[in-house]
Amino acid sequence: MDTEIPGPAVIFDRAAVRAHRDRAARSATAHEFLVRESARRLLDRLEDVTRRFPRALDLGCRGGILSRILKGRGGIESIVHADLSWEMVRRISGPSPSDGALAESRAVADEERLPFAPGSFDIVFSNLSLHWTNDLPGALVQLNRALKPDGLLLAAMFGGDTLWELREALLRAEAESEGGASPRVSPFVDVRDAGDLLNRARFALSVADVDTVTVMYPDMFRLMADLRGMGEANAARARRRTFTRRDTLMRAGAIYRELHGDEEGRLPATFQIVSLTGWAPHVSQPKPRRPGSATARLADALGTTERFAGDTARPG
Amino acid sequence: MDDSKGTVDPKLLEILVCPLTKGPLRYDHAAQELVSEQAGLAYPIRDGIPIMLVDEARRLDDGEDVRSPSRER
Repeated sequence: MDTEIPGPAVIFDRAAVRAHRDRAARSATAHEFLVRESARRLLDRLEDVTRRFPRALDLGCRGGILSRILKGRGGIESIVHADLSWEMVRRISGPSPSDGALAESRAVADEERLPFAPGSFDIVFSNLSLHWTNDLPGALVQLNRALKPDGLLLAAMFGGDTLWELREALLRAEAESEGGASPRVSPFVDVRDAGDLLNRARFALSVADVDTVTVMYPDMFRLMADLRGMGEANAARARRRTFTRRDTLMRAGAIYRELHGDEEGRLPATFQIVSLTGWAPHVSQPKPRRPGSATARLADALGTTERFAGDTARPG
Repeated sequence: MDDSKGTVDPKLLEILVCPLTKGPLRYDHAAQELVSEQAGLAYPIRDGIPIMLVDEARRLDDGEDVRSPSRER
């Protein structure tokens, strides 16, 4: 059934995202090192928080990587594993080896149309999955609602500089040999936009920051195999549906090496990971006061005298 | 863990809603479906895993599988 709601531009082919996940679920987990590394960094953030989060959702869970390295952190008692791919969630079976006490359940769910009642979770994790949503603002609003008041969103997604070397090499090779170019690598979000989106989705105390991970590859084909293995092959709707010509790929590999190869001929691949942290609103959270509502002078607190600096701002 | 086939975790059922209408779901144990009367859709459960995708749901009015590409009528 096609119930496309008019609104945000449809950039990604969600059926392709799902097919890529299904395919990746059938391959070995060796390609998932980046997903695991990102999950590790995401969970490290829990160590700064003293609160407990009994009910958790891992949205875009793939094969349950995050829960396997959770190791009892965050006071999590139950977790719902949800992914767009049934093949992926099906892989999660039996209690987590790291944490036998964790109650686990599984569902197939779409980030763009969440099937969870308001206030269902104390914490939502989303590790390297939200970059495939067409309507990221809409997905964030739905996540906010699925959280209890003062619930925490911890998300990581690929950012704008991800795979820029690969994109450049493919575009140049294609322009050279085929006289035109089509997007070969999916577009990603910018960190400034991500922070703005969190605020617009009514997350409080929100933070967006960036980590850059550079992975060295022996050649471009190993990189592309890894991307497929992670279920991260291009799913942009504007992508070309036919295979790239072999000679174009060979040329792209050569351009990549010319431009970026190190002295041993290895190729660096940049992965920019944008981390999003935000809290569902709650009355207990600190909020900025209305401008001009101060009852004490800053100068008094600092033990100095106030001097007019020439600005014309007036208390409103 | 909802490992026994065909059994959905009751705690999960408590929080699931229709992804289209956000309305309530009725668990049809025999058919292994979660029925959204409001949306007129039934979401299948495979190996105890509810598939909460509109594209995978069965339309209630005519019993037709909505993802089926061939609609010869």
